[in-house]
Amino acid sequence: MKIRILRQKAPDSEPYWESFDYEGTKEISIAGVLDKLNFGDDIRNDRCEKTDRIGWESSCLQGMCGACAMVINETPALACETFLKNLKGDEVVLRPLRKFPVVHDLIVDRSVIHETLKSTNVYIGEYNPKEKEDHEHQYAVANCLKCGLCLEICPNYTNGKSFYGAFYANDCYLVKARNREKAKDITSSYAEHFANSCSKALSCMDVCPMHIPTLSSIAKMNRKEADLKVLLRKK
Amino acid sequence: MKEILIIGNGISGMMCAIHCAELGMMVKLIAPGPSEQSQSVMAAGGINAVTERHEEGDSVQCHVEDTLKGGAYLAGSHAVEGLCSDAKEIIHYLERIGTVFSVDENDRPVLRAFGGQTYKRTHYCGSSTGKHIVSALVMEVRRFEAAGLITRIMRHHFYSALIRDGRCYGALLYDENARVLVPVYADALVMATGGQNSLFGKTTGSNRCDGYAVGKLFLQGAALKNLEFIQFHPTTLETPQKRMLISEAVRGEGGRLFYKDGDRKVFFMEDKYGPGGNLMTRDLIAREIIATGRDVFLDISFIDKKLIDSRLPEVRDICAKYRGIDISKEPIPVAPSVHYFMGGLAVHKDHSTNIQGLYAVGECASIYHGANRLGGNSLLSAMYSGKIAAESILGENALVERANFDSYIQAEQECFKKMLESDSPFAAMHIRDLLADTMREHMSIVRSADSLSKGMEDVRYYLSVADRIHYDSSVSAYINYSLKGILTLALAALTCADARKESRGAHYRSDYPTATEEYRAATIISYNEGNMLVTFDRENTYED
Repeated sequence: MKIRILRQKAPDSEPYWESFDYEGTKEISIAGVLDKLNFGDDIRNDRCEKTDRIGWESSCLQGMCGACAMVINETPALACETFLKNLKGDEVVLRPLRKFPVVHDLIVDRSVIHETLKSTNVYIGEYNPKEKEDHEHQYAVANCLKCGLCLEICPNYTNGKSFYGAFYANDCYLVKARNREKAKDITSSYAEHFANSCSKALSCMDVCPMHIPTLSSIAKMNRKEADLKVLLRKK
Repeated sequence: MKEILIIGNGISGMMCAIHCAELGMMVKLIAPGPSEQSQSVMAAGGINAVTERHEEGDSVQCHVEDTLKGGAYLAGSHAVEGLCSDAKEIIHYLERIGTVFSVDENDRPVLRAFGGQTYKRTHYCGSSTGKHIVSALVMEVRRFEAAGLITRIMRHHFYSALIRDGRCYGALLYDENARVLVPVYADALVMATGGQNSLFGKTTGSNRCDGYAVGKLFLQGAALKNLEFIQFHPTTLETPQKRMLISEAVRGEGGRLFYKDGDRKVFFMEDKYGPGGNLMTRDLIAREIIATGRDVFLDISFIDKKLIDSRLPEVRDICAKYRGIDISKEPIPVAPSVHYFMGGLAVHKDHSTNIQGLYAVGECASIYHGANRLGGNSLLSAMYSGKIAAESILGENALVERANFDSYIQAEQECFKKMLESDSPFAAMHIRDLLADTMREHMSIVRSADSLSKGMEDVRYYLSVADRIHYDSSVSAYINYSLKGILTLALAALTCADARKESRGAHYRSDYPTATEEYRAATIISYNEGNMLVTFDRENTYED
């Protein structure tokens, strides 16, 4: 089986494709394959040339941290949760997430996710819910890995400068639901950085490794946003 | 204003950062990646506390006694009293900052039973308590980032501490983007770097917790403690990429361990220890599983599927995804694996070390768990240790004058540059793999003088070549420079295990199978000019 990887030595260098031969079980994840390719005696490409070891990130290796997010056969996914046996064809194509700056090979810089949350004060502060909680939904939302897969697939997200993407809608909902004092401010940020630009393609939900029902967060936030629009019109 | 440098942004690091900020200190929070990638998110089961909602008969004193007993009376009793007394406030704090605990129909947190505990006192968030605590703490850190009191710095790794005459002045860090070493001076350095998983290769934990920082600080003069006490989680599932933890929550919900004898299921834990056999401590269950010499299974299929879906969804998903097992219909094949390190940097109950200005919190510090840790106490100790360290740092005098480290920094930078410029294809990872084989074979659940001696011989050999090899510069420089610290830590752990000629808690010696009064003291190991010295802390130096 061929493993074709879009590689890049450093943030400012040119990307290039390199292929590797993998012979082994198909009962293995992409993370397992990368591990096997990297830590043989040598690492050689499919032309038998010695090459650099493949850069990629991992931590938990069980779908709980999001470190190994990448594009696998054109689908954004976690390497540790994508198994060879479930992929079609004799070639697997790996590339880094395209919506983030590349650091090295399959490693990208996703700090924009944290910067946007920081710059718009997305934090609960003190738990102070308004009404009976939708506890199950809040539990689901708090599972967000901040892995960036929702941004990678989103047709509206480009670089995080104005539209922030699905993770943002979910975190805004969590803050609103758990602190009524912040509901107004957070709804305003949500309107500016999410609601006004989301085309509801909802592809984010298809790739979310935690299966977060973002549509439900959007529905709950929009209810509040409609109230805010009325308020702003009155002003 | 005091400036604090914290290495590691899991739960203990974040809690320390938040509390330092609350107390008016400036914090730099350093880690390779975001907190969402820390090992803390993997803590599944729950967090212990006796609150006003406790079961009838339970008390803080009972929690203290369970913890000390679970730790085979090696834990610092004053520290454990502080831990258990403050647990209620920690739960309230987590509620206040919006942690999504599992609740009953009246929105009150529900409790579950964990191994080694007299009463149900474990609060939880489904099967991903650590993840939800991380999510809540990340938001709190963000609040203090907005206030300018916490600065997060990612893609940085610990390289060494800046220590002079028994005083720590900060740390030298490796900046992964710029590929250079950078000094950061601080009034206090707090280590929150987690356990030592990489000593054993693939474990249940994160591959980022490798023990390097603890090994390096040991070489720089920090005393280590109780390194021989390594908890093997009795129920893990083997998969091609790692050992997956099957949470103790499964047994808390009634899960039964058995092996097959022909068509008969033998519930060996219940047969030997009665109805509560499946909730015995982890070390005991791990040894009993090994002693069966059979394939062991954990069965929860007999409970209502709705309960599995609501209380054990993560366990259900892990088994289905990685092994195609439906836990509502079939039992889970389980075996013990390395899970938690009770040992680490020796700290006093205020979390200071033997080096002034150097603190340690969370799993990399050793104080609360003695010879073995109770389920539900690791999240509690991560939270509590971060908080206590912050308070201790506040009470310390700020640095008046900074020592000059220019020549040390220059020498290290030159050495580092040479390493980056080397072009050998040799991967330091190979030696890490060899080390893992050695540790799994010779430092496993059952040890002996013979096995430990072979282990030490292997590691000494790896150490002898580690300095002479040029490494592959195409891998992360961290993987290369961390090797010596990791190997040193492994040798120290083997040395401690060899010195403790008894069996206690998670340390079991086939040649000394019982506990003896002589060894009812913590193991302290220190390093001086190439020599490792082991002592037993019979004077309870680290109790206060």
